[in-house]
Amino acid sequence: MIRRIACAVALVLVWILVLGWAAGLSWNAPLQPARTKALAGDTFRTVLGAGVQDEGSLRVGAVGDDGNALQSLTMDGIRAADYPILRYRFEDFPRTLELSLVFRRADAPTDVRSITVPWPSAGWQTVDLGRLPEWRGTIVELGFAEYATAQLVPPSVAFKPFRFDRAELASPSWRGGLAALYTSWFAYVPWALHSISALMPDRATFGTASPVPVLVIGMLLSVFVLAGFLRWPRRRVLQGAGIAALLLWLVLDARWLRDFDARHGLTERLYAGKTWDERLHLLPDQDLAFMAAQIGAWLDSQPPGQRLLVAADSNYAFLRLIYLLLPHNAALLQLAGAAPLPPDSLVLLYASTQWRYDEARGAIVGGARAYPADPVFESGLAHVYRLRSDAP
Amino acid sequence: MSLAFALVWLLPLAAGIALWLALVPRRGPGWLAATLGHGGVFGMLLAAACTSLFARADTAHAWTHAGLPLAIFAVATAFVAWRRMRERESASMEKLENANKWINGLLAIALASLAFRGWLMLREIWLRPTFPWDAWDAWAVKSKTWFLLGHYAPFVSMSDWLAQPAKELYTGVAWAYPATLGWMQVWFASAAGGWIEPQVNLPWFALWVGLLLGHYGQWRALGVSRVIALAGMYALGSLPLLDVHVALAGYADLWLAAMLGFAALAWLRWRRERDVGQLLVAIICVVLLPTIKLEGAIWLLLCVAVAVYDVLPRRWRRWALAGSACVLLLLACVRHIALPVPGLGWVQITHAGIVVPGLGEYSLRFNADAFLSLLNSLFVQPNWHLLWWLVPGIVLWRWRALREDAALRHLGAFVLLGFAFLCFLFTCTDASRWAESYTAVNRLILQLVPATVTVLTLACRALEPARTHPSPVARFDPA
Repeated sequence: MIRRIACAVALVLVWILVLGWAAGLSWNAPLQPARTKALAGDTFRTVLGAGVQDEGSLRVGAVGDDGNALQSLTMDGIRAADYPILRYRFEDFPRTLELSLVFRRADAPTDVRSITVPWPSAGWQTVDLGRLPEWRGTIVELGFAEYATAQLVPPSVAFKPFRFDRAELASPSWRGGLAALYTSWFAYVPWALHSISALMPDRATFGTASPVPVLVIGMLLSVFVLAGFLRWPRRRVLQGAGIAALLLWLVLDARWLRDFDARHGLTERLYAGKTWDERLHLLPDQDLAFMAAQIGAWLDSQPPGQRLLVAADSNYAFLRLIYLLLPHNAALLQLAGAAPLPPDSLVLLYASTQWRYDEARGAIVGGARAYPADPVFESGLAHVYRLRSDAP
Repeated sequence: MSLAFALVWLLPLAAGIALWLALVPRRGPGWLAATLGHGGVFGMLLAAACTSLFARADTAHAWTHAGLPLAIFAVATAFVAWRRMRERESASMEKLENANKWINGLLAIALASLAFRGWLMLREIWLRPTFPWDAWDAWAVKSKTWFLLGHYAPFVSMSDWLAQPAKELYTGVAWAYPATLGWMQVWFASAAGGWIEPQVNLPWFALWVGLLLGHYGQWRALGVSRVIALAGMYALGSLPLLDVHVALAGYADLWLAAMLGFAALAWLRWRRERDVGQLLVAIICVVLLPTIKLEGAIWLLLCVAVAVYDVLPRRWRRWALAGSACVLLLLACVRHIALPVPGLGWVQITHAGIVVPGLGEYSLRFNADAFLSLLNSLFVQPNWHLLWWLVPGIVLWRWRALREDAALRHLGAFVLLGFAFLCFLFTCTDASRWAESYTAVNRLILQLVPATVTVLTLACRALEPARTHPSPVARFDPA
């Protein structure tokens, strides 16, 4: 009996040590934070968008012209090292938005630092800013910014009103550290373009991490403790390890399914119940899709067989434009290198700083290259030129 | 649901099932799952082949042009299958195993979770326009072009595109990529009546179902108990990155993984039963690898090397190993060497780097950060649950089972060599930047995952006491 009680105590100690290590806690950290600084929502001022104070919280009802909302609070200079734990609570925060923490330091008051933090589901979310290199010195301003989830949500339907309830800064403690660990393991992380290559929340959003190594180490130590205290024979140890692996796999899978379900929830919210044509108008890159539709319609009015060379500063923009323009015959201008371009080819410049149209020379100029061309079509940031026959 | 939608799904399924049964007519444990799994995947590839052969001139109505030849193929192979199935006696089916109720409960939970994620994946594909980068940048470019153009047009290099402005040629960053999956998308798009991305991406869900059923069925036929086969199927189907490749459909890696996994299973069955049909399945799967994705050529070479080694008499194997060591030594000493690789062309190897046609040029240098990224991908990130933690443990634990089964040992060697290749690629060449950015490392690992899970599942197959009748398929079958 005593052996079993000792084993249970050892197991509890193992998990305290493992979780404390994962949370970056020292053994002498207090259970509760020694210092806290409560930041009620209604003390924040609305910098972008529109918001009204509402019984201690801030009700955000609109975004600014650029599609972003920002609430900020000027602080009387707090030492970042004294308050590494940040908690925040929002109500009805739409899944279509991302949340960023923004702050300024006294040593660089003109620099606004911004990091994406875990999406605020119901209840408190906690992050350990002590792991953020920029969180140092004296903090003079702190705020939250909200915007459509990049490359995933069309900005036109991203915003819905929500309530910013409150935030809290706190000194290190077991409570804060373990809460930050919980948030880092279970926070909702939206689909991203790199999701197909790796599920790596630690890179996409600050304050999120994989639980795999911590839980594996905890499980292995637990099996050793059980085997040692209960004097398991070798066969029993193998069985115990097998059961531990099975249970851990199920736990990890349950976590993944919860995450997957949350990611899919956004897809349902955006596209469920809509026809394919309606969904096409809800592409995340609405501006590019609109531009491609305009250019495509213009190309349809031209003689068939037109070839289009596309240039833009952003890889995503030019590749996406080429895909959206299909079946029009488009290719990347940068791949042409120094090869001569066929006369009468069309060139599309979209938000390009590397290439520009020099009106004085009547040519598209990029680096050392220049192609005589005439403007033939324009829509917003997209400009189409036709190469003249005297092009090289 | 339109008649066309139903037909473009049922016709490939029928053709694939008929082909599988013509090649593997014997019924035994897991045969239904293996038939549906392999039949579904083969059927979609058959539809792609028929579309590329018979619908080039009118891609907008591709399924009506390719459907008839596919239906004729289905009927002809179904007839062959029927004849062969009549000639073969069925293997007696095993009795249901009386597994522990706890195990049954866990398996029920596992299967329910597979069904739940299947529903999520299906809805995700059905609702979302094509999302991941290479899906629209590389893999769907040819299919969308051909379908919307109404006919086939060649994709060429940029220099050829610029040199021949009068011809109807297309180019793009992925102009050299194989078009098999593109033709399959044309088949489904033509029945959808437009470039409706969820409908052209739906085959990725069918691939997931086929992958799981195919593996379950073949594991059962290889003597794995129902409990362990179901556990293996759950392990494979629950891997997060594999799920992502289904939900965010459009990449070719999962197809390569499935074909490599099927090839490994069919080869194992051929080794066990000497059934020529299984050998043909293995050969077909392996030959198709480079037609799905260019790096499939590497896996093809590796498969051939391991298969040749496997059939060599024991004393010749030492010579083969010595010869391989000499080749490696030669590569290390000679300043320049060119090796032909089917599907890729002549691969140039020098001390400074490797030039692979179609894939690029890689300079050689060790990158420690990339090695750490590789370890991070396998053991830290939540891409694979516990798979790579369990591999060394299970190999050590079941070492005797692995050592005693030559075929399983050689499949293990194949997986190990595959990982050695990936390790070399991602730590000693320019491709290390893809490991550091995590853009490719996990996707190439994914290609080896089904074969790895097969090794682990088969290594565990003798865990349970034999409560069932011995399966006749386990006996040597000279046919």
